[in-house]
Amino acid sequence: MQLGQKNKMKLENLSFVGPCLILVGIMVYLPFVMSMYYSMTKWNGIAKEPIFIGFQNFINLFTGDQNFVRSILFTAKYSILFIVVVNIISLLLAVALVKKLKTANILRAIFFIPYIMSMIIVGFIWRFIFSQGFASLQAMTDWGIFKLSWLGDTKLAFYSIIIVSIWQAVGFYMVIYIAGLQAIPDDVLEAATVDGAGGSYRFFHVVLPLLGPSITTCIFMSLTNSIKVFDIILALTGGGPGGTTYSVTLDIYREAFQNNNYGLGAAKSLVLFVIVLALTTFVLHIFKKKEVEM
Amino acid sequence: MKKTKIGLILLEMILIVAAAIFIYPVFLMVINSLKPFAEVVTDVIALPKKIEFQNYAYVTEKINFVRLFFNNLTITTIGLAGIILFSSMGAYILSRRNTKFTRMAYMFCIIPMLIPFQTIMITLLKVAKTFHLSDSLWGLGIQYWGFGIPMAVFIYNGFIKTIPREIDESATIDGASTLTIFFRIIFPLLKPVTATVAVLDVMWIWNDFLLPMLMVNSRPQTKTLTLAAYTFVGQYNTNWHYAMTAMVMAVVPSILFFIVMQKHIIKGVVAGAVKG
Repeated sequence: MQLGQKNKMKLENLSFVGPCLILVGIMVYLPFVMSMYYSMTKWNGIAKEPIFIGFQNFINLFTGDQNFVRSILFTAKYSILFIVVVNIISLLLAVALVKKLKTANILRAIFFIPYIMSMIIVGFIWRFIFSQGFASLQAMTDWGIFKLSWLGDTKLAFYSIIIVSIWQAVGFYMVIYIAGLQAIPDDVLEAATVDGAGGSYRFFHVVLPLLGPSITTCIFMSLTNSIKVFDIILALTGGGPGGTTYSVTLDIYREAFQNNNYGLGAAKSLVLFVIVLALTTFVLHIFKKKEVEM
Repeated sequence: MKKTKIGLILLEMILIVAAAIFIYPVFLMVINSLKPFAEVVTDVIALPKKIEFQNYAYVTEKINFVRLFFNNLTITTIGLAGIILFSSMGAYILSRRNTKFTRMAYMFCIIPMLIPFQTIMITLLKVAKTFHLSDSLWGLGIQYWGFGIPMAVFIYNGFIKTIPREIDESATIDGASTLTIFFRIIFPLLKPVTATVAVLDVMWIWNDFLLPMLMVNSRPQTKTLTLAAYTFVGQYNTNWHYAMTAMVMAVVPSILFFIVMQKHIIKGVVAGAVKG
């Protein structure tokens, strides 16, 4: 009886959890392990047998052509700027839009709309705006900013990508901050006002600390999303001009599917994994410490 | 008191102007989809001289919009149904039973959240071919099960822990089997989280680009909306009037979905972000 019960439990465990294990195993773990193997081979995807070359790919990544290093630097620059700017803008919007405004709901919806569109489409819309729309706006206003080559100039192309990324994502971070702000009890704010705290003092010394969890969430999400930036760049600049706007993920894609260096691509993709893992554990560690202090 | 009121009105006006500028690109996309080619080239910001839907007729036929729409619907439905079913069942056992097996299985299920898709995409292609999952809508939908389960299990697991165990225990005493308890009692209680998972996964699968690009891009019969828009813009590089029309058509379903489900979407997005 006892044994039968135990076996029944085991059978239930397997039948309830089994599908998850099998699916995740096949879709994620199997390709992951294969990537580890292929990263140590020279393989063009067509030849039957990949040639084992040990750690040569990893050595080539950093000593051979500089594409990968350049894409890492690009992604780092992009991520830092994106995380800082998107969090500041979305927090400001959230602070403004929790106030009792007649149009608050519709304004929130407007700022959220780009987030529900596919990022490829967002990239194309902006390519149209930068190339065609700005020409017409320039003709109408004669303003210098519309005359610049926003996608053709190396420096400007970087900022174009940042602008479009922020345009697409700002609504997402805004709604998280709004939820955080709404969770702050009114009496805390009233107490601060009664104690004579002015607007900005109240914001920096009362609201911001109480917003800690939302800030953690937003910074963490913006970090993991920006490291993996792909679609927007592909649609907006395609990595150009002159290959200066390749992110790490776009570089992996190019190496594997355009240059057909699957082995080298797999090696790059594992480096990406290590970077993501290291950064996320590092950031989570810092926030854990901070939250304990507060 | 009066001062704050004027301040609020001023703030509201600034916000309205900001929102108008913010959404202007979308507006430009829509008006240019209604113009003939000559008008787009001469002036992008002018309103169309008269509203014509010729571009829409042309693009609808060219990309076979109806089929694309149903392709998206098929993939999203298959993906979502599997993710919800398997994840909720799995998370139920994983959060209720505390054994060595469940602890390890839980870690096995959620660790993939840390693995970027681009890390596995190269070899995934080979795996998908081996299991005959590439080049088919069903195959693509099934692949989303594997990629969607980690986060869904994580979210379900956190929620099921808040459901009192007494509910299942009293049902067990009444002689109900685990399967009955799950489907009759637990699953209905999971409604709010199921909504969160559904919102996040629909937005993800419907708009996803890279995985469909790798798996179903070779034949027009299996393309998705985003894929078709991407290919279309590639082919009609300078024909911006058609390109914008294709963009609008690809985006309209998402916007309608958002308008109808706005409350659920924002709730789901916030809940998903805070828990993830």
